[in-house]
Amino acid sequence: MRLAILILEDEPPVREALRRDLAVFARLVRIEAAEDAETAREVIEEIRAAGDRLALVLADHRLPGTSGVDVLIALRADEDTRAARQVLVTGQADQDDTIRAINDAGLDRYVAKPWSPDALRALVREQLTEYVLANRLDPLPHLAALDAERALALVRERGDL
Amino acid sequence: MTSLPSQPHVRLTPPTPAQVLGLVTGPLAFALALWIEIPDLGPAGQRMLAIFLLAILLWVTEAIPLYATAVLVILLEVLMLSDQALIGGLVDPPSAASWFATLANPVIILFLGGFLIADGAHKFGLDRNLAAVMLRPFAGSARRSVLGLMLITAFLSMFVSNTATAATMFAVVIPILAALPAGAARTGVALAIPVAANVGGIGTPVGSPPNAIALGALEAQGQGLSFVGWMALAMPLMLVVLFFAWWFLTRRYVPKGLPLALRLTAEFDRSPAAVLFYLIAGATVLLWLTEPFHGIASSTVGFIPVVALLATQVMSGEDLRRLQWPVLWLVAGGIALGAGIGQSGLDAWLIGLVDWERLPLGLLLLLLVAIALGLSTVISNSATANLLVPLALSLAIGLPIDPTAVGVMVALACSLAMALPISTPPNAVAYATGEVPTRAMVLSGLAIGGFGALLLAFLMPRVWGALGLL
Repeated sequence: MRLAILILEDEPPVREALRRDLAVFARLVRIEAAEDAETAREVIEEIRAAGDRLALVLADHRLPGTSGVDVLIALRADEDTRAARQVLVTGQADQDDTIRAINDAGLDRYVAKPWSPDALRALVREQLTEYVLANRLDPLPHLAALDAERALALVRERGDL
Repeated sequence: MTSLPSQPHVRLTPPTPAQVLGLVTGPLAFALALWIEIPDLGPAGQRMLAIFLLAILLWVTEAIPLYATAVLVILLEVLMLSDQALIGGLVDPPSAASWFATLANPVIILFLGGFLIADGAHKFGLDRNLAAVMLRPFAGSARRSVLGLMLITAFLSMFVSNTATAATMFAVVIPILAALPAGAARTGVALAIPVAANVGGIGTPVGSPPNAIALGALEAQGQGLSFVGWMALAMPLMLVVLFFAWWFLTRRYVPKGLPLALRLTAEFDRSPAAVLFYLIAGATVLLWLTEPFHGIASSTVGFIPVVALLATQVMSGEDLRRLQWPVLWLVAGGIALGAGIGQSGLDAWLIGLVDWERLPLGLLLLLLVAIALGLSTVISNSATANLLVPLALSLAIGLPIDPTAVGVMVALACSLAMALPISTPPNAVAYATGEVPTRAMVLSGLAIGGFGALLLAFLMPRVWGALGLL
């Protein structure tokens, strides 16, 4: 089982920039991209079918058709994707959308464009760690993608079985 | 609706082929042992044989969690071998309460104290601060630093579980790894931690569950060992294997003259709660080490910090809840299994199966150590000890050797198994860092574990005898 990150972004250059900045994670977790709500659903279905787990969604707000915030709200309502950590990566979400993302989707983090690559990587590491801790997954298969100190706290509790 | 309903979502995973095998063969062997007529084995022995076979198959295949098998053993002993057995026909059966009492066996109480102190040491940052202070003299070259890391890891592991020690030390070491050139040096440092954690666990009775299982079984035979008594038997081997491991790992992986700056800051917690904790933990360890002078059993001493830490509210009910109960229950299951094999007469019957006297004692001990090492390389050290300690102790009845030596040997051999990522949790952590290729772990595990096993089988009984320890 691998952890999966979904990048939901309609502009190809931005999508690629996100992928590039997260390239260090590519060996450790599954990174998928989608340009709209429809493709996102398909990608999530693929992730599930492969036995992997959607751990983190990095979503733009402005998408063709359904907005990024609406996708996040729908993901939170769905039993299978409810646990995924949600980050809005956006330059132009207005106040109402932001409020909806926080109140209705339980948004975990907000990243303003343009982002700092280092800060983004740190945030992804932190959010993946949150996901593993909250779902009490075995952190060891994913250790290199996580905040080692916090992840190892889960291992410590296991004892010498 | 920010507060989403957070129902516990238990996902039942489908069993692996090995687990299916255990689920099928376990009950089958259980039923067969009860059904077949076995000469020279009374009804109690036959029932115990069924339980033992079931336990072997479930522990080896991990068809159900290890601790579930442990409580199953206790339940079956109550249902089949106690005064409340569903089917009678037993001569003077033990009370059901005595089987349940294995869950609070003195050795379990000893571990309870050990666990609470270990958890407290982490809660107040004592483990990390001690590591920082003890590492200072070793700063400079990478080879020296590895020696320091290994000695500290082993020292912590004598009192804290191997897994928790490895978790603490890797939290310290992972940032250090990044400062080393990629490749061999990182592998060496990352391997040093699990090796030292595994080896350090043999040092004291509370260091690792196999020690408790052996102690519990020996105590049931009236061959109890004091805390320092165990240390005297185990620490010489621990230190020799540790230095050998350092020599092996540094010669092989860490280039001479490679600099490594370990700058760890120690900030000891000076809050009243922390100071109280230091006092209580220190006093407990002191009492453990001075048992020959005051005569208070180590398990009784182990219960003192439980009372003192809870009464002073230095540790809370929450800390109590977070203790590693699965480990305690796994050990209890092993003690119950050992007691059952001894009380039902199954031990005498098992020994009668083979003409042991025709095998030379040295070969027999080597075989015992090899089986323990091999089995615990692929399954849990504690489960291995649960299965082998009672067998080895029954075997010792007919041998010209002190049963204590045999029990301790099996327990120590279980801790020397570290050739695979699955061998021990510390190995799994090292592997997870991505710096240790499986090949390197196999090689170091075979070399270090093999070296320790040979010493254990051939040299240690003589050393113990020569020192007058047994």
